[in-house]
Amino acid sequence: MKRTLVIIALCLAGVLKTYAQDAPKLYTLPSAYERYTHYLATVRFMGAAPLGSFSDSYISKSSFQNASVSLEWVLRNSPISIGGEIGSTYFKERIPRAIYTNGDETISAVQTRTLSQVPIEIFGNYHFLGKNSTVQPYVQVSGGVSIVDYTLYYGSLSDQRQKAAPKYGIGLGSKFLFKKDGSFGVDVRVKYDGTAFKYDYIDKGVSSVNGSIGVFYRWW
Amino acid sequence: MFKKASIFLLLAAGLGFSSCSKDPLSDLSTEESLVYVTNHDQSANYTQYKTFSIVDSVLVVENDRSGTALTDIDRSLLQRIITNMQALGYKYVSPKSKPDVGINAAWVTNTYLNVASNPYSSYYGGYWGGGYGYGYGYPSYYSYYETSESYWLISMVDFKNPNTVDKTFNVVWDAQIRGSGIGDSQYIEKMVDSIFGQSGYLKIN
Repeated sequence: MKRTLVIIALCLAGVLKTYAQDAPKLYTLPSAYERYTHYLATVRFMGAAPLGSFSDSYISKSSFQNASVSLEWVLRNSPISIGGEIGSTYFKERIPRAIYTNGDETISAVQTRTLSQVPIEIFGNYHFLGKNSTVQPYVQVSGGVSIVDYTLYYGSLSDQRQKAAPKYGIGLGSKFLFKKDGSFGVDVRVKYDGTAFKYDYIDKGVSSVNGSIGVFYRWW
Repeated sequence: MFKKASIFLLLAAGLGFSSCSKDPLSDLSTEESLVYVTNHDQSANYTQYKTFSIVDSVLVVENDRSGTALTDIDRSLLQRIITNMQALGYKYVSPKSKPDVGINAAWVTNTYLNVASNPYSSYYGGYWGGGYGYGYGYPSYYSYYETSESYWLISMVDFKNPNTVDKTFNVVWDAQIRGSGIGDSQYIEKMVDSIFGQSGYLKIN
């Protein structure tokens, strides 16, 4: 019995001794976020403004009912991260009663123009500064498909078209860590989005610029 | 493992986004919901018409059946049509004195039968444990629901130039009034004024 205790005590002492020796070394190593490929999830809320012919011929009103979530793999020894993002955007504009003519037909109606999209994209980010810098500016390119729902209401009657259309985007943003080597931070991004969708009033695709603010969490 | 879980997370988030549908018409007033559609024969020369008459009751068409009705709202509709036609310069005469054009008014209801299939799957059988190694075989269940839509249809028929070959009268103008307030008497005058108001080519005075 006594002997067992002595052995346990010796073992413990050995462990403690090793720990005491190794512990200071941890602080000399670079952060785990720099050593490993790690994961980063972001939730964003966006304001979007229509651009170009989409704005001129269909909806010009800005929208604040947009959101997205993204998940990215931040590659080690590289300024690049890749990931996927899925979101929801919604534009709506009410046009006061007006008269529309189409051949022999004349329609008087209040139009409610809507366009909603669920974009599903793959993106790549290039970061200008290190992974543990509290400010991490980046540029982004993305591409994917968008599930588009075009619904134009004449009064309470509707004309609807749904389609999965190709989309792409170019963005510029920055991550801001709450604390150095921390897990949480804020993401700010401005992005141009284009969707190749044509129907009725939309003859040259859907384009918009959106500004987003998000919160991210990273782990490894 | 992680990758699978994250793809699932993205999918779940996507479903969440797409399922929260918006109702873009929740702030649309009854008056704003009204839609006036008019059609006219481009070749018709309306100045050749001087007199008109109108049906004495509203034709009610429901799918393939039809009948006539003259409720208060029908009466005010017909009366308002007369007022508008007179303002455009036409003379109101009895049907017996050979009017140049006749006005028909109809309340049309189309009822559609829709079919939807219920998404039953073997998943719903899970409650019983499935301990015997059997799945559940579901037949295809369908549910039926009806939707119906009503609208006013007002048309102007040319009695002056009948088509003698196939013995028909041409419709030279028609109007549809659609929307959620069409059965409401407070909008009748506005509705009738609107369909004539957007058809300036009918004016002969």
